[in-house]
Amino acid sequence: MVSIRSEFTKGLWTVIPPFRLVLGLCPTLAVTTTGINGMGMGLATTFVLIFSNLFVSLLRRFIPTQVRIASFIVIIASFVVIVELVMQAYFYQLFKVLGIFIPLIVVNCIILGRAEAFASKNNPLRSLADGLGIGLGFTLSLLVLGSIRELLGAGTLLYYSATAPGFHVMWASFEPFAFMLKPPGAFVALGILLAFMNLISQIQAQKGGGR
Amino acid sequence: MRDIIRMMVILTVIGAVSGLTLSVIHGLTKAPIEYQTIKFVKEPAVKKVLTGYDNDPILDRTKITVGTDERGNPIELVVFPAKKNGKTFAVAIEGQGKGFHGTIGVMVGVSKDGKITDIGITSHSETPGIGSRVTEEAFTSRFKGRPVTGDIQVDGISGATYSSKGVMSAVNEALTSVRKFKQELF
Repeated sequence: MVSIRSEFTKGLWTVIPPFRLVLGLCPTLAVTTTGINGMGMGLATTFVLIFSNLFVSLLRRFIPTQVRIASFIVIIASFVVIVELVMQAYFYQLFKVLGIFIPLIVVNCIILGRAEAFASKNNPLRSLADGLGIGLGFTLSLLVLGSIRELLGAGTLLYYSATAPGFHVMWASFEPFAFMLKPPGAFVALGILLAFMNLISQIQAQKGGGR
Repeated sequence: MRDIIRMMVILTVIGAVSGLTLSVIHGLTKAPIEYQTIKFVKEPAVKKVLTGYDNDPILDRTKITVGTDERGNPIELVVFPAKKNGKTFAVAIEGQGKGFHGTIGVMVGVSKDGKITDIGITSHSETPGIGSRVTEEAFTSRFKGRPVTGDIQVDGISGATYSSKGVMSAVNEALTSVRKFKQELF
């Protein structure tokens, strides 16, 4: 039981994908113009990650090693298409915003990485916990990054569409910092967050006697 | 040899199962996707060109077959009817014309007495600030009240001749269908 919990929680801090592994940066930088966009991308990735981990793990004894990558890609691609269709049918505005980045989940190295490095060597329960943890870590990272960029770049929080504009949190004379919504702003925001996380880890290490 | 057969069988099974699952899901989501696309892409234009109805034109949309393409597949025209007390008094249909860059889609509202109620641009990729002025009310209102009996010519926007002509040809394409299928529409 302890090990399953640790498989889950490691994805939330010690190997949180965009910050610790610095993987999956393409969607991380491209779609996090608002918090909701980031969260939508994160949840879509989480869904694919959970089910690809589960199925890769269930089939790990049947798939011959020579064709494992091909099999993993087929499994991952199937779930990506499912996500794409469901999103188009029920969250059309999010689908329009995320656009090409939804089909590109197929080549997201976090998902193939977890399938190859973890799910193909562990039992389904542990793989499920791993997928859920890494996925939620990714979602959380994108939500935080998106919210910071949205707050500074547009002065709002949780903006979804013209009919659900979220909250206007900045004061009235606040001049939006449009640079944050551009791709370079994404790099700067990511860099600052990375620096903060390293700072926290360093302080923790010093407190723990250089552990 | 046995290994190769094993690989082939397993990959085939995985591919077949995934294909089957996806086709089922595609079937399940087809109707909602069509509704969403129409709602977000066409609804604003439909609302602009039709007024005074008490039904949902998006939900009540019908399709008429207007011809066949070179492969023999039917070309369908989607009709959005505006009804009051269950009677259709106007319809909106979309026509397409060639603009300066790519295709311009125009929703045309036609009333039962054969006049254009209004037009609305559904899609275009004209130059922002120049060709895109055809989407403004100052231009689209020039089509209001015109009879549908013949092709329509309105004054174009100077500097945006191709875009203006694109909108006109889109409107005239829609009107051709209206004249041809008047019996089925109302």
